[in-house]
Amino acid sequence: MRVLFRLLIACIYIFLIAPFLFVAISSVGDSAMLSFPPHSFTLHWYGQISPKLVDALKVSVLAALATMTISSGLGLWVALAIARGRGAFVSFLKVVSIAPLSVPHLAIGIALYQTVLLLWDYSGVTLAATFPGLVLGHSAIALPFVVRGVLAGHTHLDPALEEAALSLGATPTAALWRVTLPLIRPGLVSGAFLAFLASFDDVPIALFMGGGTDSTTFPLQVLASLEFSLKPDIMAISTLVVVASVTLIIALDYFFGLERFLHGQSAD
Amino acid sequence: MRRLHQRTTDARRYPIDIRWNRLALPGLALLAAGFLAPLLLLAIYSIFRDGPYGQIVGDATLANYAAILSDPFYLKVLGDTVLLGLLVTAACACLGYPLAYFLARTSSRWRPVLLFLMITPLMISSVIRNIGWIPILGDHGALNTLMLTIGVIGRPIAMMNNFTGVVIALVHALLPYMTLLLMTVIRAISTDLEYAARNLGASPWRSFWMVVFPLSKRGLGAGCALVFSIAVSSYTTPTILGGGRVLVMATFIAQQIQSVMHYAFGSALAIVLFVAAVGLSAIASKRLEQSGV
Repeated sequence: MRVLFRLLIACIYIFLIAPFLFVAISSVGDSAMLSFPPHSFTLHWYGQISPKLVDALKVSVLAALATMTISSGLGLWVALAIARGRGAFVSFLKVVSIAPLSVPHLAIGIALYQTVLLLWDYSGVTLAATFPGLVLGHSAIALPFVVRGVLAGHTHLDPALEEAALSLGATPTAALWRVTLPLIRPGLVSGAFLAFLASFDDVPIALFMGGGTDSTTFPLQVLASLEFSLKPDIMAISTLVVVASVTLIIALDYFFGLERFLHGQSAD
Repeated sequence: MRRLHQRTTDARRYPIDIRWNRLALPGLALLAAGFLAPLLLLAIYSIFRDGPYGQIVGDATLANYAAILSDPFYLKVLGDTVLLGLLVTAACACLGYPLAYFLARTSSRWRPVLLFLMITPLMISSVIRNIGWIPILGDHGALNTLMLTIGVIGRPIAMMNNFTGVVIALVHALLPYMTLLLMTVIRAISTDLEYAARNLGASPWRSFWMVVFPLSKRGLGAGCALVFSIAVSSYTTPTILGGGRVLVMATFIAQQIQSVMHYAFGSALAIVLFVAAVGLSAIASKRLEQSGV
């Protein structure tokens, strides 16, 4: 019974890891057709990565960094207002700032696309298929992660620390910057990390808001390449992305602790 | 203990006195521009008709919704989407429960590593996760090669560019959500209860089934609602592993907007998906609150 249970758990783990393993295996196989098993191994494909994929990866990283910056910069204050603000405004803020989490991102992508088309009709401002348009959409879906992260950090904050700062002569602004914000930094960091992921991982919003030269993200480029065939160079660059992601996650785990990221959510 | 601490901190006001509400305005502006206004426009478009060149015409009408809920073709897309959601949810529950129980109760020193391995897939690009299934599920992929070699099958079976592939990859994508949620719920159930049941003579299986499982039911319900709501609105997986041949709500909606420019009808479809997903998420979080996590 015990052995069977262990066996089941082992099988589930194999299932969980399999696709990443096969991305890596296919990236070093000799066959361009991705048949299995490969006859021999080669690093050939790593030298053949299409410049389009590299450019798209750059766009993705830039968009994710911009999204992370904007949603953290704005979300921090939204969260603090929810925790400390007054009146009906706070309950409204609470609902609205978390809502994008449960709305299908495809619906948001389409809605945003139609909105920017309407904006173009009336003002001539183009946001569709541009970097700012893409980042606008990504920041909106990423903001809830920041708000949730900061709120989680805020629940453990002892008001006595602020009282101490104020009674020792700090101005409210100084107390905020030098006492409150450093104390909620872990929550902010985890929120910012999830905001980065929300942008980096996104397909449905980029599908409608991206696609231009500066807004074709890595997932979009992979999807476009898939329409012809899955070439091993996609597997090569994907392997590099997986290695980079895992390294980053291990580093974050080392510095900030993984348990904090447990409540992360991304949409498919 | 933590509850008590929270209550005391809530009761005492934070002494820094700033106009907090005002500081939230830029964030609110972002949400208004990137989320609220677009969704409002989506709802408005959904009650008009499509003109021949992608324009919105006519008087307000519920005809789009009536069509979605009566035309056999659209009903089939809806039905397939629900079926996909049910299959994925059932599989995630069956695999996620044992895994969550194991991770919640194990005292193995490998637990941090195993936890890490379970969570990491969540944090890796969904496109990469999906293309990883292609060398496994393809006609000349690992699984077919393996089964042909052993002799279980005579010729390759299609596990990609169809419903099967989409289900497998979605289960893979959503299993961590289910497992994480269940793990938190199971950890909150005291092991003393299990020891008591065992002391009173229950077998391990019986003590699990009569004690732990009933206590985790609400958490399981919440996990199922969460997984179902993400599964029915997923776009990436049905696109990559369906190979353009699997039409579910999300892929159908994208097609309506991008290929045929039926903005009004596409909007109505998106609103249907939106209502279903938001309703389910609400059920999930309510259940979770009731289970005290």
